[in-house]
Amino acid sequence: MGDVAPAITVSNLGKRYRLQHQGQTTLKTAALRIFARGTPRGEEFWALRRVSFEVRRGETLGIIGRNGAGKSTMLGLIAGTITPTEGTAETDGRISSLLELGAGFHPDLTGRENVFLNGSILGLRRREIRNRFDDIVAFSELERFIDLPVKHYSSGMFVRLAFSVAMEVDPEILIVDEVLSVGDERFRDKCRTRIGEFRRRGKTFLIVSHDMDTIQAICDRVLVLDRGETVLVDRPARAVSEYHSLNALGGGEGPAMREWGTREAEITGVELSTARGGEAGALRGGEGFTALVRWRAARRIENPVFGFALADDDGKVLYGTNTAIDGPAIPAIEGVGAIALEIGPLPFLRGRYHLTFAVHSHDHRTFHRLDNCRAVTVAPDDEHDGSIRLAARWDLPG
Amino acid sequence: MRRQPLLPELIARRELVSNFVVRNLKQRYKGSALGFLWSLLHPLFLVVIYLVFIRLMRFSMRLPHLLVGVMAWQFVSLSAGDAAGVVLGHASLVKKTWFPRVILPLAAVLGNLVHFGLSLLVLAVVLPLLGVPPRAGWLHLPWLIGLQFLFCLGISLGLSALNVFFRDVEHLVPIGLMSWFFVTPVIYSAEQVVGNPTLPGWVAPVFFANPMAALLAWYRHAFLGDPLPAVPLWPGLSMAFAVFALGLLLFMRLEPRFADEL
Repeated sequence: MGDVAPAITVSNLGKRYRLQHQGQTTLKTAALRIFARGTPRGEEFWALRRVSFEVRRGETLGIIGRNGAGKSTMLGLIAGTITPTEGTAETDGRISSLLELGAGFHPDLTGRENVFLNGSILGLRRREIRNRFDDIVAFSELERFIDLPVKHYSSGMFVRLAFSVAMEVDPEILIVDEVLSVGDERFRDKCRTRIGEFRRRGKTFLIVSHDMDTIQAICDRVLVLDRGETVLVDRPARAVSEYHSLNALGGGEGPAMREWGTREAEITGVELSTARGGEAGALRGGEGFTALVRWRAARRIENPVFGFALADDDGKVLYGTNTAIDGPAIPAIEGVGAIALEIGPLPFLRGRYHLTFAVHSHDHRTFHRLDNCRAVTVAPDDEHDGSIRLAARWDLPG
Repeated sequence: MRRQPLLPELIARRELVSNFVVRNLKQRYKGSALGFLWSLLHPLFLVVIYLVFIRLMRFSMRLPHLLVGVMAWQFVSLSAGDAAGVVLGHASLVKKTWFPRVILPLAAVLGNLVHFGLSLLVLAVVLPLLGVPPRAGWLHLPWLIGLQFLFCLGISLGLSALNVFFRDVEHLVPIGLMSWFFVTPVIYSAEQVVGNPTLPGWVAPVFFANPMAALLAWYRHAFLGDPLPAVPLWPGLSMAFAVFALGLLLFMRLEPRFADEL
């Protein structure tokens, strides 16, 4: 198997999205944007970046990660529905993707009509579909309903038919997103059996799931993604434990990044560093950090105020300060420059915290504010429970 | 990625194209008692309404001319009318599966071509009854229909792609169609423009630079033996082809970003 070309080759894959601000698009900028090749202005974020891996023929790869980790983007890029911003995702062989069950189903058409339509979307000839039609219907157990419009199907029936079509397409590569968690228990078992056969025939299988039991049971290797980057690619047991520790660190996607203000003065960059030196994305317990905030002011601005806030993963602000409270007073800014903020040892045991930086006028007109634009993670370094650090001491009186 | 040259890929996926066409047609008439008949009833109702209007306004317009005009206009008006929803209406498909996206507008316009074909068959029966016998000019129809098909396809490609990014398009289309209808000689005769001495000289060439005005002049020439106007028609016909090329270019340019926007 080793010298055969891999079924899927992903190299340095990245996908950047622009965060859209409603109502900001004028026809002129819109027209310009269509034909612009360069990087346009505006907020951007990388749903996926610097991801590389290979999937051998016949291998089953699981992709796990928290919400917003980039799993669906990954599958979309491999299935070819999403165009990468950088890097490549190459596949060898017919792909059948169950990214969303019954995506191609049309409610007004009957089950039979949908089987033919869906089959041809997946790349089958009509003759091939006709040959397999009976098997498809038999597997879905929908013989009695196959000539009924699918809008009358229950969601379980819908799923069964979609799954049956996707399996009968006989793809080289099957991509499945959270599918095995639907349908009733018996049909799920049937699907697992079918997927088992599929794997024994040496086909390649790519699955995204939040169901760690399924992942452990069927995957050869597992890719763990977090915030668009590869955490690791490893054996299922190891990957699942990594996933659990990511979850323990902080659930969910965290609060939304936002950017707003009049832009009379702008924050052009924030550099975080620790006393150990280097970037401070990950802190040890009891460590602090320094933020160097770079600014630009197109015109002279009197008495500006720089602000900082720190929020937890739910977006709740735990601390906030600004130069009006703590000084120094800034008479005026113009051109470019920087201001440094030093934060002493964080009183946290563990968790992820989100940093907000802002510059506004002395009377609270926001020039530029970057909500939750950076995150720092505090890794636990002792065995205390909870999230904050208290000066606790046990004593035996007497 | 599995991107191949467009034409071979379309030929390889021709069954998907025909499945989409069939689905579009079925979907349009599902649940209506008269079903497919509506594709003929609709233009006929329009003809009746226009006839009343023409009478009231005392336009000089004969029924055969009106029939030819309405049938050909229907093709372009249906294609432009449903263009906005062509990609948007398949958002989940576009996001979840890969196939050449061009198939979506292609299938929509092919569906309208089927309607147009049917109405031409009706014309072929009705015109002799109205005293217009079949004539050799009908041999022009293949290239006329082909060119109008490309024109409609270009409109559908361009509008469907643009509407993914600017939903304004779907609101602009009905307004655009309405104004376009009035500058196209569907319910009035082009002679009222060409032979009108009160209009400045540049009006007639500009009038016929409208691809539909040029196509209608040709359709009426082919079907009814009307003389072609003294104004050159090639600018209008080239414009039809240019719209196709531009629409295709725009669509191919925007297609990679569809899934991001839907």
